[in-house]
Amino acid sequence: MTDNNVPVIDVRHADKHFGKLHVLRDISLSVNRGEVVVIIGPSGSGKSTLCRTINRLETIDSGEILIEGVPIPPEGKKLAAMRSRIGMVFQSFNLFAHMTILENVVAAPRSVLRRNKKEAREEALRLLERVGVADQKDKVPAQLSGGQQQRAAIARALAMRPKAMLFDEPTSALDPEMIGEVLTVMTELAADGMTMLIVTHEMNFARRVADRIVFMDEGAIVEENTPKEFFECPRSRRARDFLSSLRDR
Amino acid sequence: MSISALLDKYGSLYLQAMLTTWRLTVISFAGAMLIGLIVTVIRVCPIRPLRHLGDFYVQIFRNIPGAAMLILLVYALPYLKLNFPYETCVLIATVMIPSAFCSEHLMSGMNTISPGQIEAARALGFTFFQMILRIVIPQALRSAVLPLTNLLVATMLTTSLASQVPLRPRDLTGIVSYINTRDVGGVAAFAISAALYCFTGLALGRLGGWIDRKVRILR
Ligand SMILES: Nc1ncnc2c1ncn2[C@@H]1O[C@H](COP(=O)(O)OP(=O)(O)OP(=O)(O)O)[C@@H](O)[C@H]1O
Ligand SMILES: [Mg+2]
Repeated sequence: MTDNNVPVIDVRHADKHFGKLHVLRDISLSVNRGEVVVIIGPSGSGKSTLCRTINRLETIDSGEILIEGVPIPPEGKKLAAMRSRIGMVFQSFNLFAHMTILENVVAAPRSVLRRNKKEAREEALRLLERVGVADQKDKVPAQLSGGQQQRAAIARALAMRPKAMLFDEPTSALDPEMIGEVLTVMTELAADGMTMLIVTHEMNFARRVADRIVFMDEGAIVEENTPKEFFECPRSRRARDFLSSLRDR
Repeated sequence: MSISALLDKYGSLYLQAMLTTWRLTVISFAGAMLIGLIVTVIRVCPIRPLRHLGDFYVQIFRNIPGAAMLILLVYALPYLKLNFPYETCVLIATVMIPSAFCSEHLMSGMNTISPGQIEAARALGFTFFQMILRIVIPQALRSAVLPLTNLLVATMLTTSLASQVPLRPRDLTGIVSYINTRDVGGVAAFAISAALYCFTGLALGRLGGWIDRKVRILR
């Protein structure tokens, strides 16, 4: 299980269509233990779809996806068990609206992992402390700012003690002044050695935190590179165009 | 007879009738909620034929008149060698029909849940039933308090079907015909029952409003 040579996430030749639209084209991507991989690309290039296939919120047409060397099981209890060990953080937070922040973090460890109530609660409080929203624990999500909700959502994912975390544009729905607080939490996670796959448009953050940048366009991986090289002298023409289009804004 | 004369003579019978109506209402609504919940879970489960079966159940019982159903239960079931007591026949009708409406209210309550929450639950490893129990049902119920309160009142009124069979003790509607066959109660006899229905309905409405304010989900 803890074989460090086996990638935590291993996507091999994944293809996917939405009807006629070819959203993923022969995608191969692996993320090793402790690695932080950032996916960048224009809107509609299939970044979210790729992220979602990794815990089978979307299925692929062909190819395979392995988690720690094990193919993702089809629907059922085994799939649920596998998903429970991959944290996912969404653009729109998706906290459970009827629960307090603390209940949000405790819910899955209790229901899914059947953890002891007291322990689950203590761990939840520690995590809320770590992401800086412990003082909000008894409020419901709608009473929190976007940045606080997203940090709580990260704590909720961490409570499952995930082997890897997927982030799909975690700061895109946030007001500018709240982006920093979420990125800080993510930077700390990365520094603690969490295996992370991050879709983001925050280029400075990507450059600082990523071990590897993956550039996608039209459903394909166009370039995989170190952050330094990617941002300073990207190999592909499309990445160059994409980066200069960002600078022009 | 005047209302006060009626109350003097039949007050305790009215009281008994009101308690009977309340009892039938509580049993009917509890049954309707239970079956409504089960049918709703079936209607959203991953197995398609089951989902259709759930929809079919709702279509049937949402569209059948209570009186017609009661007649079927009382007169047709004995041919199938099923002899239920009158009260059971009444309760079957007053459970099944509201259960279909209950399911409809829960379905629209579910529509208030953002799809993202369902995805988050799946991503956290919730199984279908865990998700239904912890995320979906609680939110559906809490969003449906007001329509379910209306359903509770409607269920109470539906229990007046009991007056169509020889049920003892009589319910609030049955008591009126009883009095009017023995005395000239006239409209006044109706008015007393109507007032008691109204009083109960208003009280339930208040209660529902209060519960709704307590459990409403901030979004
Ligand atoms: N459920 C779906 N059904 C049909 N088409 C879809 C579905 N989800 C996404 N698509 C389409 O697939 C393509 C890739 O979508 P995806 O969300 O993966 O892009 P993205 O790279 O995440 O874009 P963005 O930066 O805007 O989030 C888009 O053209 C999108 O319209
Ligand atoms: Mg996206």
